This record gives sequence, C-alpha cells and structure tokens, in this order.
Amino acid sequence: MLPFVLYFVTGVVTGFHLYTLLSFAVYGAPVNWLELVALLGSFCLLIAAFVSLFRPAGAARLALVACLLMWCFYAPAIAKTVRARFARATASSQVRPPVRAVSGHFTTS
Amino acid sequence: MILPYLAAVLLAIATAYSAVVSFRERPEGSVPTWIFPERTNRPARKFIGITTFILLIAAGAWLNINGVNPNAKNSAPRSFRFLIPEGYRGWVRVEFEIPGAPALPMEAGHAVLKIPPSGSLTTSSHEQYGWARDSYFVYSNSGMRPIPDTGPARLIWGKINGEEKGSSGIRKYEEFFVGTEREYKEQVEQAKPKER
Repeated sequence: MLPFVLYFVTGVVTGFHLYTLLSFAVYGAPVNWLELVALLGSFCLLIAAFVSLFRPAGAARLALVACLLMWCFYAPAIAKTVRARFARATASSQVRPPVRAVSGHFTTS
Repeated sequence: MILPYLAAVLLAIATAYSAVVSFRERPEGSVPTWIFPERTNRPARKFIGITTFILLIAAGAWLNINGVNPNAKNSAPRSFRFLIPEGYRGWVRVEFEIPGAPALPMEAGHAVLKIPPSGSLTTSSHEQYGWARDSYFVYSNSGMRPIPDTGPARLIWGKINGEEKGSSGIRKYEEFFVGTEREYKEQVEQAKPKER
C-alpha cells in the first residue's frame, strides 16, 4: 500500500503544480516544453501507483522513469530558484515608463 | 506558496524509494517489509478501485457544476456581436455595469455592442464570462461585413477582460485590438518597458 500512496500523492501534487504553471499560458506566458515532459512524468507516476498494487517491482521501475522525467523540469527550476535566492542583489535603480495595465484574464473565443 | 516545495519534496522521496526498490532485489523467500511489500491483497485493491472511481466521478461533477471559470454560473456560452466602425484601427474598450449607460440590445440571441468611432463603449449590462462565441463585424453606411478573428487574415488581437479599481468603484472592462498582426505587434512593442 505504501508505494501506491507515495506514487499517487506525488503524481497528484506534481500534476496539479504543473497544471497551474501551464495554465499561465492563458495569460500569454510562454509554455516551456520541459513542463509538458514533467506533466507526462506525473501521469506515468499515477499509472505506476495503480501498477504497484499488482507488481510492486515493475511499478518501481516505471515510477523511477517517471520521476526522472519530472526531474528534467524540477532540477533546473530548483537550481534557478536557489541561485536567484543566494545571488547578490543588484543595487541598480531602474526608472521604467508606465506600462499599459493588463490585468484580468483572456476570454475564450 | 507551499505547493512547489511540497511537490519537490514528494518527488525526491518518490525518486529515492523507486530507485531503491528498482535496484535492490528482494531476496527469495524473505519476509515482506515496508520497502519491499507484497502485491496488495484483493480487498485493498477493490477499495482503491472504488475510491478512485468515486473521486473521478466527484471531480467530473465538480468541474461540470463550477465550470473551468468559477464565474461561469450559467452553462449557455456568451455571445457578443461587436460592430466596429469601417476603417477603425486600434484598441477597442467596452466598460460594463456603468450606471446610466444604455443596456446592450439583443439580436437573435446575440448581445450587440456597437462601438462608436472613438473605440470606447460603456454599457449598464453585465459582463459575461465563460466560453465565448463572439463575432465581429464592420459597419458602414453601405451595410455590415464580418471581420475574421482567426486565420491568416485575422484582424482581432489581444483580447482581454478584467477589473479596475477606481474612484467610482470596480470597473469591469473588455479590450481588444483591431488591425493587422503587424499593427498589433507594433502596439505591444510601444507599450513594453524599455530595458536598459
């Protein structure tokens, strides 16, 4: 039961996280193909969760492949976050012209 | 926001666990442990199967009730018919729920928004959310003709809607650009902040 819970919860949480990231495309954010690869990994992890009920060893191999797919996105993302956090803050003042305010969301047409 | 951290931690645990189970075979005849469990028994599989089925049904029902957009309470798609003056190029803005402004007339199930030459229209009607089936027409003294909003000859760009807080309260608006792709991109470039 442990592998099922672990794979299932990880698949759902990472899948939801990636879905929220991908949904920013509605606001015009570019879609990173690594996000799509990681989303495929989440889906594979959910499959591995159900396979683990019957074949725990086979499911573990599938889960490992799925996790590696997800690390394709998460590893660079974590590295960038850590680097940005520990990077020295630049002390430059920037004066920017007012930008056209675009708040809200795109309609689906 | 805790979600990215939770996802990363769970992913690390799942990776470590699956790697250990993949690369370390359980010795023949050994007692199952929490790392190397046996296949799940039949009642547990049944329970998981039924629970998953109920969860899927519940998720489907929730999406059906709330829609993709929580503001979309009605299932009927919105249908605006935008009438744009002949030769107009630039941004069109429609402000909704403006007290004293005229309501949008309805024609054959479509709310008609006749944009004046200024490109700005105010109405007391409510903004509609959800799936949209909007159509665009150019009007002149000689009549009306449709404007393509998709495809290579597309003339409608950058459609947004949103809310603005002002002195008179929250103003709901909708905007889009009328023009060629090149004209739209030039507009966007002009609006972008200049990087140093």
